[in-house]
Amino acid sequence: MSQVNRVSGGQLDRGRTLRFTFNGKPMQGHPGDTLASALLANGQKLVGRSFKYHRPRGIFTAGPEEPNALVQLRPGAFQEPNTRATVTELWDGLHASSQNHRMSLEHDLMAVTDLLSPFLSAGFYYKTFMWPRAFWEKLYEPAIRASAGLGRLSMQEDPDAYDKGFLHCDLLVIGAGPAGLMAALTAGRSGARVILADEDFTPGGRLNAETLELGGMAGAEWARAAVAELAGMDNVRLMTRTTVHGAYDHGIYGALERCTDHLAEPGGKPRQILWRIYSRGAVLAAGSTERPIAFGNNDRPGVMLAASVRAYVNRYGVTPGRRVAVLTNNDDGWRTAADLAAKGVEVIAIIDTRDAPAVCDVPGARHVRNAAVADTTGRKGLRSVTLADGQMIPADCLAVSGGWNPNVHLTCHQGGRPQWREDLSAFVPGDALPPGMAVAGAANGAMTLAAALAEGRASATTRLEDLGITPAGTDLPRAEDEPREAAAFWHVRQGRSRAWLDLQNDVTVKDVKQANAEGFRSVELLKRYTTLGMATDQGKTSNIAALAVLAEETGNTIPETGTTVFRPPYTPVSMGALAGRARGRDFRPYRLTPSHEWAAANGATFVEVGNWLRAQWFARPGESGWRDSVDREVLMTRASVGICDVTTLGKIDVQGRDAAEFLNRVYANGFSTLAVGRVRYGLMLREDGIAYDDGTTARIGEHHFVMTTTTANAVTVFRRMEFARQCLWPNLDVHLISTTDGWAQFAVAGPNSRNLLRKIVDSDHDISNEAFPFMACAEISICGGTPARLFRISFSGELAYEIAVPARYGNAMMGVLMEAGAEFDAVPYGTEALGVMRIEKGHAAGNELNGQTTAHNLGMGRMVSRKKDCIGNILSQRPEMVRDDAVKLMGFRPVDRTQPLVAGAHFINRGETANMENDQGWMTSVAHSPSLGHSIGLGFVKSGDTRKGEIVRAVSPVHGTEVEVEIVSAHFIDPEGKRLRA
Amino acid sequence: MPDQALTPAPPLAGHDRSFGSIRVAAPENLAIVSLALPLGEEDAAERAIETGFGADLPGIGKSLTCEAGRTRLLRLGIDSAFVLFEHPAPDALGIVAAKLGDAAYLTDQTDVWCALGVSGPDCRAALERICPVDLHDDAFAVGDAARTVMEHLGVIVIRTGKDAFLLLSASSSARSFLHAVETSAANVT
Repeated sequence: MSQVNRVSGGQLDRGRTLRFTFNGKPMQGHPGDTLASALLANGQKLVGRSFKYHRPRGIFTAGPEEPNALVQLRPGAFQEPNTRATVTELWDGLHASSQNHRMSLEHDLMAVTDLLSPFLSAGFYYKTFMWPRAFWEKLYEPAIRASAGLGRLSMQEDPDAYDKGFLHCDLLVIGAGPAGLMAALTAGRSGARVILADEDFTPGGRLNAETLELGGMAGAEWARAAVAELAGMDNVRLMTRTTVHGAYDHGIYGALERCTDHLAEPGGKPRQILWRIYSRGAVLAAGSTERPIAFGNNDRPGVMLAASVRAYVNRYGVTPGRRVAVLTNNDDGWRTAADLAAKGVEVIAIIDTRDAPAVCDVPGARHVRNAAVADTTGRKGLRSVTLADGQMIPADCLAVSGGWNPNVHLTCHQGGRPQWREDLSAFVPGDALPPGMAVAGAANGAMTLAAALAEGRASATTRLEDLGITPAGTDLPRAEDEPREAAAFWHVRQGRSRAWLDLQNDVTVKDVKQANAEGFRSVELLKRYTTLGMATDQGKTSNIAALAVLAEETGNTIPETGTTVFRPPYTPVSMGALAGRARGRDFRPYRLTPSHEWAAANGATFVEVGNWLRAQWFARPGESGWRDSVDREVLMTRASVGICDVTTLGKIDVQGRDAAEFLNRVYANGFSTLAVGRVRYGLMLREDGIAYDDGTTARIGEHHFVMTTTTANAVTVFRRMEFARQCLWPNLDVHLISTTDGWAQFAVAGPNSRNLLRKIVDSDHDISNEAFPFMACAEISICGGTPARLFRISFSGELAYEIAVPARYGNAMMGVLMEAGAEFDAVPYGTEALGVMRIEKGHAAGNELNGQTTAHNLGMGRMVSRKKDCIGNILSQRPEMVRDDAVKLMGFRPVDRTQPLVAGAHFINRGETANMENDQGWMTSVAHSPSLGHSIGLGFVKSGDTRKGEIVRAVSPVHGTEVEVEIVSAHFIDPEGKRLRA
Repeated sequence: MPDQALTPAPPLAGHDRSFGSIRVAAPENLAIVSLALPLGEEDAAERAIETGFGADLPGIGKSLTCEAGRTRLLRLGIDSAFVLFEHPAPDALGIVAAKLGDAAYLTDQTDVWCALGVSGPDCRAALERICPVDLHDDAFAVGDAARTVMEHLGVIVIRTGKDAFLLLSASSSARSFLHAVETSAANVT
C-alpha cells in the first residue's frame, strides 16, 4: 500500500524507506515515523477493537496518552501486547498486529457484545453471573477469562535482558520541551550536574509538533540547537527514550530508559534500564495533555485530539484525513485548522462551542459558532458529524479540543493533591510538592510558549540558588504568545447515542451517571465501580471529563469532587525492567562453601540454605535414593569417622578488655569463667526471654573469643550484638567482626576422628584425650605449618572435632582429610546426616528455637544464670514462662516401631478429643534413625520431663495421620555422653 | 603426614579480563588485616600506627597509601580500620602484629574477602549499573571509600586512582560478585 496520506514537511528521512506489516499487510514508512504515523500515512484507520464492546477504533492521539491504538509487537517469545503505536518508533521489519478481536480486525465476531451493551454497563459483573453458583467455576469464569483482557502474552520466558542503575545529579529536569530545555540550559551553563530526561526519541516536546517560532527560527530547530549545546557539556547527561515515572522519597526518581525497543534486534544488550536518580533538585517540565469533549458516538476511527492531528501534520508529514472538521471549546483548536490548511488539507468546518468571533482566518473553513457535535456516522471510519441542531457535515476526520490538563502526576506521588484553576478549567500542582521539586511550563498551568521558557529558566535558577550554585545568566529567546482563551465544555447533552469518556475501558457518560444514581458518588468509588481511569492509559484523556460529569450529577463543583490519587508509574513499566538481573540463577547471590568444588566432584547433591549451597548428601553408585545415602553416612560416621563442611555457621571474632563481660551479657549462661583454651555452649535470649540462637564460643586468648552461631541467624546475631556494643554498652571495650567466610571449617566426627586428625596435625600439638579433652580449643598448625584452629566439640554426639583453616585451603583440606581418613573408611556427610545425628543426640536446632520457646522449654532453665544480668533475663522469669506444666523438650518414639513420625503433629492425651483445648504440645523434628532402626522425634509436650514412659497420640490433621508415641529422653544415643569424652 | 600439601585456591585468583577499555582484574596476593582501636587507648593505637606504617590513620571513609605505595590504610569506622598490602603467605596478621604489638586488636581478613579492581576511562559507566554511591570525580576523591550494597552483596568500594576502583566483597559469594561486575562491564561495551 502506498503512503496515500503524506503531506509535505515533517521530521522524516524520506530518503530511506522502512518496510513493516500490520496484520500481515505490507506497508511503508520512513525513519522518524512512529508506527501510528506510518499507519495513518498508509491510510490505515482501523487499528483495534475496544475492550468491552469490541467497537472499531482508530488512532486517537500522537502520544503516550493513547487509549485505542494498542498493538502486539514482535514474534515468538519477544511478543509484547498493549504497545501504544503512537510512541513506537518505526523500524525496518516491524510486524504489528491488532488486539482484542475474534477472527479479523475488520470482522470481529465479538462485536455482538456491542448489541448487549445495555446489560454490560457499569458494575455489570456485580449483578450478573451469580446464578446458578455451580456455573461460576466451570462455565462463567472460563468464558469471561477467554474474552477478557486486551493483548495476549507469549507465555514463554522473556528472552530480553534488563538492567538497573544509579545516577546522581544536582538537577533533574523532567521533560525536554521548551520549559525543560530552558531549565537544562540554565543549569548546564552554570556548571551544575544536570540530567535531562525525555520520553520521546527526539527531544523538544511540543516544539516538534508546532509551527511556533522561537528565537527567530522554527521551534523544532531551536530545540535541536539547544540539545546540541547540552550534548556538548560534560556536566549534562541527556537521556532520551527515558520516562521519569515516579517521584520517590528523598529526591529519588525512578526512570525507565528504553534502549532497544526501537531496534529490530537488541544485539545482546539490555532492552531497558530502570534507573534510580538521586537528585538534589528537580524541575518537572512534563507539559500538558489535551482532553476531548464527549458526545454521541465520539469513539469512531477518525475522531482524534486536535493537537495530535496537527502533530501528525507538522512533525510526521501525514494527514489523518482529507476532509477535516474541528470541534473546540478554546482558541488552541483553531491552530490545528490553520496548520492543516497551510498544508493544503481541506478544513470543512470549525465548530466552536463558544459564541465568539473567529480566532484566525482559515481559508475554506466554515465557522459554526455556539455549536457542538451530537453524533457521528461511519462505523469503521468517520463519514460525517451531526451537529446538535441536526445539521450533518461530511468529514473523515474530526479534530476535537476540549482544553488541556497539566501533567501534574509526579507532584502527587508523595501524597500531594492538585488544585483547581477555574480560568484553565484544569488542575495544576498543589502547594505540597515533593521536597526539592519545582514545576515549570504547561505542567504548572503556564500554557503559552513564552511563559514556559520563562518558568523553565526561573525554576532552574531558584533550584540552583538553593544548592548554593551561582546561575549563569541566560537570555530568553523571543517567542510567540499564542492565543489560549478557553471556556469549559465537557460533554454534549443533546443526542441519545452513547458518549465515551474512557475509550480504553469503554466507559461512557451514561455509566458515570448510573454509578452516581446507584450511590457510588465519591470519585474513588466512581473509578472502581465503572473502571474509568483504570486501564493502561490510567485515564489520561478521560479522568477530568468524568469528574466534570460526576460534579454535574451531584451538584458539586469539580474541585469539591476532587481527584483520585496519582501513583507511580506514570506510564507502564515492564515486569522485566522491575526484575532487572534478578531472575533465574541470578535471582539472589549464592554463597559456596570452600570445599564446594570437591563436593561437586564427589557426588554431592546440594540444597539451598538461605543463600548458601550446602551438600545435602553424597550418593554412591548403587544407592537407590537419598535414604540409602543418608543412612550410610550416619552409620559410617558413628562406626568410624565422617567429615562435614560446617563453614556456613556464623563465626564472630570478639576481642577487647571487656569481651568476657560482653559475652556474659549477651548469653544466658556465664562466659567470664571460661578458661583460655576452652569452648562453651551458649544460649542467647531475646529481650523478651525467648531463646533465639545457640552456638559455641571458644576462648583463644585472655581478651579474644571466637563465637559460632547457627547458619540462619549469623547476620541477626551479629546485628544484635553490634547494636548492644554501640548503643547499650558503649563504655565496654569490645570489638566484633565477622570471620564466617574467612575460615573453612570441618566437623570430623566418629570413634576414629582423633586417629584421623593425628595424621595431619603437626607433631608439636598434643591432641590426646588428656592434653585436649572434650570442649578444648587451640590454635595449631597442620600439614607442615599451615595455621589452623581446632575445637573439640560435637553436634553428633560422637567423639568429634571441628578443624578450621584459612578458607583458601578449604577445598584442598577436604581432600587431605578424606585421604588421611581413607584407612578408616571415612565418609563425607551432608546436612541430612548432620540433622539425623543431632536429632538422635537430642540437640536443639532451628525447629526447636522457633521464636516461641524459652530456655525453660528447652530444658535449659538452669543455664540462665542468676548471678549475672543478661539480655532476656528479667522477662524470661515472667510467671507464664516458668510454669511447672510448661512444655518441655522430649524425645518421642512410635509405639509401633514400623510407623513413621510426622513433624508438626500435635500431642493429644489418649481418650481426649483432638482439639485446641486438649493440645499438649507439638513435634518439632523427626528422622529415621538408622542407628535405632525406626523413626524418632523431638518435640515439646506439657510437663514432659515428668511424663517419661507415658504414651500419647501424635495427631496431624494436615496429613490426616495419627500415631501413638512414647515420651522418652531426647538423648537417644549415648545419653551419658561417654563417646564425647573418649 | 599426607603426601598432599594444602594448595591455596582463593576464589578469584588470577582473574583478569577486559571489556573494551574497562579492565576487571583481581589483585594478586592481597592481604587484609582488620584492626580495632581499644576504647580509651585510641591515641596510643594511632601513635603505634604512625610509627609502624609511617602514616597517620586516615579519617572515616578515607584511605591512604604508605610504605612506598605498598600498603593501604583504610578507615572504616570510629574504631575500625583495614590494612591492605601485598603478601602471599597466610601469616599476614603476624606482619601487622609485629608493627603494632598489642596496641590494636587484629584479625586476619584476607580470606573473608575477595577483591576486584575495576579500571579504565569508562569504568564508572559500568559501576553506575550496580553501585548506589556517587563515584563522580567531584563526589568521590582518590582514596575515598564507602560500604555499600551491589546486587544484594555487601561491597566496600575504594577509589584507588583517577579511573580506578578496588571493590571488596565476601569471598563465599565471589562468583556472584564477579558475575555482577562483569555483567555491568559487558552491558556498557
